[in-house]
Amino acid sequence: MSPDLHHLSGAYAVDALDIDERSSFERHLTACPACRAEVAELQGAAHALSSLSDVAPPASLRTSVLSGIAHVRPLPPVGPEPEEHTAPAPAESEQLAPVVPLLRRPRSWVAAAAAAAAVVVGGVAVNAWTTPEPALTAAQQVQGAGDAATVTSEKEGTSATLAYSRELDQSVLTVSGLAPAPEGMTYQLWYVGTDEVARPAGFLTPSDGRGEALLQGSVSAATAVGVTVEPAGGSSSPTSDPIMVMAVA
Amino acid sequence: MDRMTAASSDPPTSEPGEAAARGPDLGGMLRRSARGDESAFAELYDATCRRIYGLVLRIVRDPAMSEEVTQEVYLDVWRTSARFDGAKGSAISWLMTIAHRTAVDRVRSSEASRRRDDAHATATQEVDFDQTAEAAHTSIEAQRVRKALESLTEAQRSAVELAYLGGYTHTEVASLLDLPLGTAKTRIRDGLIRLRDTLGVPA
Repeated sequence: MSPDLHHLSGAYAVDALDIDERSSFERHLTACPACRAEVAELQGAAHALSSLSDVAPPASLRTSVLSGIAHVRPLPPVGPEPEEHTAPAPAESEQLAPVVPLLRRPRSWVAAAAAAAAVVVGGVAVNAWTTPEPALTAAQQVQGAGDAATVTSEKEGTSATLAYSRELDQSVLTVSGLAPAPEGMTYQLWYVGTDEVARPAGFLTPSDGRGEALLQGSVSAATAVGVTVEPAGGSSSPTSDPIMVMAVA
Repeated sequence: MDRMTAASSDPPTSEPGEAAARGPDLGGMLRRSARGDESAFAELYDATCRRIYGLVLRIVRDPAMSEEVTQEVYLDVWRTSARFDGAKGSAISWLMTIAHRTAVDRVRSSEASRRRDDAHATATQEVDFDQTAEAAHTSIEAQRVRKALESLTEAQRSAVELAYLGGYTHTEVASLLDLPLGTAKTRIRDGLIRLRDTLGVPA
């Protein structure tokens, strides 16, 4: 394998790669047993350093942790149980690099979606394109799909509409009144699955407050679509609370 | 580790090689947690919370945020406990990997790094191990690690410390240490290799 990539093992072991390097190195890991072994060893060495920062947490934390888990079901093992899996499990890289569940605070998404009083399920939209239109963009195709449904969310002058089609298995987010992302940051889109894990679904770059994006990935397993503000280049999992969440019916 | 409870009464069902674990049987606690055993998880918490909270606090610095992150780490550990595979590494390494990544990802989010920077505007050029908690000074493991760190060159040691305990990217480490871009990752790797060889860490 490329010597360049091989040299990233140390930085990867201490989480010192930026987000793009991390994902490309994780892809490399699935194919390179030598790097996998090295990363495991270097992680073991690095984690020995944590013995230098041994601090007792407040007693109240124990109570919060233990009451927090009581409502959460442990995930099933990733293993050779084909009937359990609908999506291909990235077993190899996941076990090596225990990617923290993408959704850090599962309940915050669900709660945000539930609490979004302004969310309106628009139901099946009128299909505006009954005649074949050769030059439709992917977004227009979704919006015009026979089974297209829309969800709208309004918050502090920002309006967002998610149009999705089960048939096309895609969704499009349209926003207005959205300020540009802060310097060095970007709006990142997420599909939140039934497993409460948020998966990256692309980016949204508003111009003059307006923006539209066709989400990457499949809407079929999603229960919600969220938007977070992430460092430019994006994150592999949300690092901040969502600014918008729309439940997908 | 004084609060650790007796190890699992559940005999290990798999790999015989793993049975020779010293200290609390964290792998066994994880396996029982995966089956929804909350008391096993409480044992796991008691056996590891100082280490996990300490590392998170070291990286995140803000105590309130550190508690939040620690809670998140344990929730993730609980949810994904079935994914732990003793054949691929030790339980403590698996746990600390989750803790480290969660803490690092948190400080890299903009709001978090602003709060951290405000609280510690002057921190970090030099990471001082002597500032760490009282317990660390006496623990045998800490003494062993401190000694092993002495085998690193100054440059390797600074790079490893800034990356692991500071939570900085290799690019940031390069800039903090005035190294040419791309050099820091080599320093980090060389330093970790030396640390591994000195400590004789099992993966």
